[in-house]
Amino acid sequence: MSRIDRRHFLRLAVAAGGTFGLSALPGRATAAPDTSGYRALVAVFLLGGNDSFNMVVPRSDAEYAVYAAARQNLAIPQGSLLPISPATPDGATYGLHPSVPQLQQLFGAGRAAIVANLGPLVEPATKAQVLDASVLLPPQLFSHNDQQDQWHTLKGRDPLVTGWAGRAADLLDPDLATQRLPMNISIAGTLPLYASSGTEPYVVGEQGVVEYAGFDASVFNATERRRAFEAVLAANSPTIYGRAFNRVHQRALGRGDTARAALAQAPALTTPFPDSPLGRQLAMVARLISVRGELSMRRQVFLVAIGGFDTHDVQNQVQPGLLGGVGASLAAFDAAMTELGVGSEVTAFTMSDFGRTLTSNGDGTDHGWAGHQLVVGGAVRGGDIYGAMPRLEIDGPDDVGGGRIVPTASVHQYAATLLSWFGLDESQIDAAVPGLGAFPVRDLGFMI
Amino acid sequence: MIIRIRQACAAAVVTVVTACGGGDGGGAGGGNPPPPPPAISYAEAHRFLTQATFGATAADIQRVTELGYEGWIDEQLRLPATSQLDYLRTLPQPNSQPDRIDAWFQSSLEGRDQLRQRMAFALSEIWVVSEVSALSEFPQALSWYYDLLAENAFGNYRELMEQVTLSPQMGIYLSMLGNEKPDRARNIRPDENYAREMMQLFTIGLVELDPDGGVRRDAGGVPLPTYDQATIEGFAHVFTGWTFGGSAQFYQPSFDWLQPMEPFEAFHDTGPKSLLNGFVIPAGGSARADLDAALDNIFAHDNVPPFVVKQLIQRFVTSNPSPAYVERVAAVFADNGDGTRGDLAAVIKAVLLDDEARTPSSAEGTGKLKEPLLRLTGLWRAYGARAENGRYLIDGLGFVLGQAPLQSPSVFNFFRPDYAPPGEIAASARVAPEMQIATDLTAALTTNLMSIAIFVWNRFDETLGPETVAIDFSDDLPAASDPEVLVTRVAERLLGGTISTELRREAEALAALYPAGQEAVRVLEVTHLIATSAEFAVQR
Repeated sequence: MSRIDRRHFLRLAVAAGGTFGLSALPGRATAAPDTSGYRALVAVFLLGGNDSFNMVVPRSDAEYAVYAAARQNLAIPQGSLLPISPATPDGATYGLHPSVPQLQQLFGAGRAAIVANLGPLVEPATKAQVLDASVLLPPQLFSHNDQQDQWHTLKGRDPLVTGWAGRAADLLDPDLATQRLPMNISIAGTLPLYASSGTEPYVVGEQGVVEYAGFDASVFNATERRRAFEAVLAANSPTIYGRAFNRVHQRALGRGDTARAALAQAPALTTPFPDSPLGRQLAMVARLISVRGELSMRRQVFLVAIGGFDTHDVQNQVQPGLLGGVGASLAAFDAAMTELGVGSEVTAFTMSDFGRTLTSNGDGTDHGWAGHQLVVGGAVRGGDIYGAMPRLEIDGPDDVGGGRIVPTASVHQYAATLLSWFGLDESQIDAAVPGLGAFPVRDLGFMI
Repeated sequence: MIIRIRQACAAAVVTVVTACGGGDGGGAGGGNPPPPPPAISYAEAHRFLTQATFGATAADIQRVTELGYEGWIDEQLRLPATSQLDYLRTLPQPNSQPDRIDAWFQSSLEGRDQLRQRMAFALSEIWVVSEVSALSEFPQALSWYYDLLAENAFGNYRELMEQVTLSPQMGIYLSMLGNEKPDRARNIRPDENYAREMMQLFTIGLVELDPDGGVRRDAGGVPLPTYDQATIEGFAHVFTGWTFGGSAQFYQPSFDWLQPMEPFEAFHDTGPKSLLNGFVIPAGGSARADLDAALDNIFAHDNVPPFVVKQLIQRFVTSNPSPAYVERVAAVFADNGDGTRGDLAAVIKAVLLDDEARTPSSAEGTGKLKEPLLRLTGLWRAYGARAENGRYLIDGLGFVLGQAPLQSPSVFNFFRPDYAPPGEIAASARVAPEMQIATDLTAALTTNLMSIAIFVWNRFDETLGPETVAIDFSDDLPAASDPEVLVTRVAERLLGGTISTELRREAEALAALYPAGQEAVRVLEVTHLIATSAEFAVQR
């Protein structure tokens, strides 16, 4: 059995209900929710579909040759890859894109893990099953917004509109009643990850809370102006649109007062963040985490997002900046969490629409399916790759066509693993992650 | 100088003008009693113009009452497009991004061709091309694209499809420009970007639709997909061989943004291509012939009328049109009465003249939330806001409002047509697309922009710089001696005269806080409260 074939053996074992991947562990979730202490999840959405097959690349000659033959002019030179040594070897060796030395360091220090070959699924799927249509698949594979929606909602083929973090917030709401801000806070606007049937996420900007200027205490007659504005908001609007508009303002005013007062107490962080959209968003998350005490926060999910990963064009030119920015920002964030004394209480993880095609369109790639994700933090069982690495071969055993790789693990399992660490009990995980039961392993094992 | 509203709206810097007591002039405005009531009331005309323009003005209200709805539309249909590129060319070169936004305000606020410009704006939110891309360096190119939308706003949808497809702006944005035929030896196959998004977002959507916009499902209730990956690959092969017009060679592009793309046959795939509904383009076709056949194939799809029409209704009239309304307008799209499919002039007329658009309803799903940009233009047009230097140099609009012309964060526009905010709207299976950009953050920022536009950028302040787009409120000062009269006056301007008891009560009370001699502050406070209320933000 060749090295790569061993991966396939493992993958088939998964499909047959056997052990999962390289580091499978028994589920750790308990019979009752645990919201003691402090824990935060930080979702980093790489919008557009990150080409993660160029982020984690085989280094060993045989596997690299397969990769290079597929990737052609888009292949990362073998000698430039930054070596990593997964705790659980699979026979091949791997390296990271040369633009992410910080991730190499985090991986080596056991503070970062790679979750391999994830994608939206409805049930475990093999290439043969996909090609003969004998397996249920999420609709509209390869479409940006539909697949982003899968990552957010885990809807599979169901018309589900709530997101898994939104459902988690609903489930934990009774336990988190004393929190002074919603569990879910976005620095990236309104995304379906937080959509829920009850709890309403809070949206702030990368600079923090924006005050209603006309109600600032230093402004003439601010109190009366605000009182009149709020009285009008409280009047019952005859339309669904007016009521929604009023509700947004009421929330923004109340939460803004709370968050602004708390952030005024925020300690100065010495850890520098990159002055980039992702760096600034994560710096804001760090500031909010730094006042978790003032806000009585015990469980939080943050959401940040950056675009630009839809590399149809000039991929070789833009990819170093894209990946380098992710690496530098995640490393800064991890250092800031250590500075705040919550280095093992905060876990950052990536999501992205899909991986990209192995084939090129000349100077870029198209929408694929499976891809690798990063998980960073002190509670991560770092320094390892979780799940089976695919064979990066055009028309190979993992390519369902055009260099699109079939996932070997579902986003359901990824979310369930994170939520289990977050403190949801088994029944809550089933409620937050509908469809999880279709997969043989509930917990991918990458969290302590 | 450019007004940097990003900083201004993000930081609390409003200084409310407390001086400048109003003049006492005015009187009751008097005059003779009006002629017999027109067939269209002031409120009705205001409501119509809120749907059809960038904001109702007294002059346009007068025009609508004179001509009637259809007469007004017919007049608008005859007006030529105000060109943003022509305007940019009058400015010092090279143009900047704020120059382009200025050009957009020039045509949107001051253009007589209001309906055409509104249609161009709506189309720019369907056929999305964005400055947030490699196009950021090319403001003239983006204005050329916007002009293209305006010129085709009342033309035929098939022609619009072709002109957009061949625009180098879309060519760069969705990477059809430079797309080559496959080279299997190098594992290169055609770029699928434009093929996918053009069908998904611009023409037919992902699932089969009934003529009323309803989703067709199989026996198990699963929506029927309109196409599969093989179809996308077929179109991706069609869209090969094109680059900038006037290029010497395929790999030596001209970078001429102001003319359509042109084909190089050596880079066009000549194999057969499987398209929609089983149609196959035979082998051997030229780039242009294949393109024509492919666009015809899409244009003929049954989804196009309901798919396009529903989004246009959402942009102009209501977020939640009845299926019957969609079906009526879709029928006009399918056949304008003369056997022509895709006549956008007939379509927009059908959208605006439909009973569901013209008859006010008390149903709670009637109308829509106005886009933030349209709230700003609505305010400014109601008062004829201008800068002394005649320009609209405003930077940071996208951050503050969550949207700015041709600045969508992705091809999926600022908001999706099916976005449903959690709560009663999602629970009742309705949608409110504009709510997608109404967050805690933009709620404060957009309110702050209105606060600045009213409290700071007004002509009561005689020290404003020549670049400040300012409102002259002096016409409202005479009314301000009586809070009730003042509220009525502002409600006429901004709400068409219909104001709730609660809003009136609060506005009058706010005005009454200021003694005689502070009429200017009364005007500002009342205008601000009304302009930041749900009653102004929502069109019925």
